[in-house]
Amino acid sequence: MRSYFVTFRSVTFAQRGESVLRRAGINCSLQRTPRWMEEQGCGYCLRIQQRDAAAAVELFRQRQVAFRKVYRQSDGAEVEEVLV
Amino acid sequence: MIYLDNGATSLHKPPSVKRAVADAMERCANPGRGGYPAAEVAARTVYSAREAAGRLFACEPEQVVFTSNCTHGLNMAIRSLVKPGASVAITGFEHNAVTRPLKALGTRTVVAGRKLFDPDDTLERFEDALCSGVDAAVFTHMSNVFGYILPVGQMAALCRQHGVPFIVDAAQSAGGLPISLKELGAAFIAMPGHKGLLGPQGTGLLLCNSELRPLLYGGTGSASILQDMPDFLPDRGEAGTLNVPGIAGLGAGIEYLLRTGVDAVFARERAEAKRCVHGLKRLGFQVFSGADQGGTVSFVADKDCELVARQLAKRGIAVRAGLHCAPLAHESAGTLETGAVRVSYGHDAAPWQTARFLQAVSAIAGGKM
Repeated sequence: MRSYFVTFRSVTFAQRGESVLRRAGINCSLQRTPRWMEEQGCGYCLRIQQRDAAAAVELFRQRQVAFRKVYRQSDGAEVEEVLV
Repeated sequence: MIYLDNGATSLHKPPSVKRAVADAMERCANPGRGGYPAAEVAARTVYSAREAAGRLFACEPEQVVFTSNCTHGLNMAIRSLVKPGASVAITGFEHNAVTRPLKALGTRTVVAGRKLFDPDDTLERFEDALCSGVDAAVFTHMSNVFGYILPVGQMAALCRQHGVPFIVDAAQSAGGLPISLKELGAAFIAMPGHKGLLGPQGTGLLLCNSELRPLLYGGTGSASILQDMPDFLPDRGEAGTLNVPGIAGLGAGIEYLLRTGVDAVFARERAEAKRCVHGLKRLGFQVFSGADQGGTVSFVADKDCELVARQLAKRGIAVRAGLHCAPLAHESAGTLETGAVRVSYGHDAAPWQTARFLQAVSAIAGGKM
């Protein structure tokens, strides 16, 4: 199954995002952002299932949760930045 | 011991606070630095405390910056908002945690309102100061010496009306009076974590609603490539490793208050303060009291205030005497020369404490009953 990664500049922003998603019943897991995804270094991201990605990003926008970028991991494990 | 020095720090914390501190020491690594379980537990612990503070003070979790005490937060706030040499309105009841940082910046302070328990005078003088063209205002929510609750809601409204940014010193009110960052519209509200919020010493909060200038520079676990501090909160104000066990305890203290209700704590403190005022007046002391008074009472005896406090300590009563780091407040009340003895109640305020205190102070007074 495809996963999406939403990146954040700090653990606090990522946790706020996690809190917003959990309240909306959307599962996610918080993890360190792979180094190559975060040009400023040392960020955190939320891993979200493909079916929830659009709703999650919409919630972040509605609740003003500041995220940086969204990445999609394909079945073949390649990861690319996407616009949601 | 009967502890009546909650204005300095709360000594009797709820059991949940102690458990949270111990648990954090056992389980928490450095928050926001790693992706392994102990770092995640630490990050969740810190975030839970931020969220709890956000619920209690009507702000977003990222607006909550953890500090080491209220003074730390006030220094950050003042250095963020006040330019060197600026003109700043303060009240006649400010603590040195406000006046010393302002002095260090070379500001011109306009002291507005020096009459105790007279909100009309406070508001009138404060508005005069705002009209005089000050650049900012810094004011206490409640006098740490006399328990005078200043009309901060109306003072905040005046500041907004005059376009003057302001900082609230909630050292004595956080945990005992309702505070909303959203409603007040303050640039910053600073508070200790170890007094009314019932956390451990070495903790504090700065609620931020304006651009924060860091006081410390260093690692934040975020945006590590950048050699400037991150431009986002709370990281901008939190360089270096946080006091995670302290923050865990603070979070538990805030949760306790959310469960108990700040209003219930205030009612308990105020009831005992009133009982204390009544008893001290009956004993013939000079007591400072008024309608807008929280759980703090100061009085002057015909003996040196430090001697009275020492004699009370021998009888198992803990109070604080002297100038309480607030010479301006004492000057306003006319007690700069004598100092005063301060009785300050906490969340566990109870009639038996007041009764025992009055009994002891009566014995010290030597037949003044």
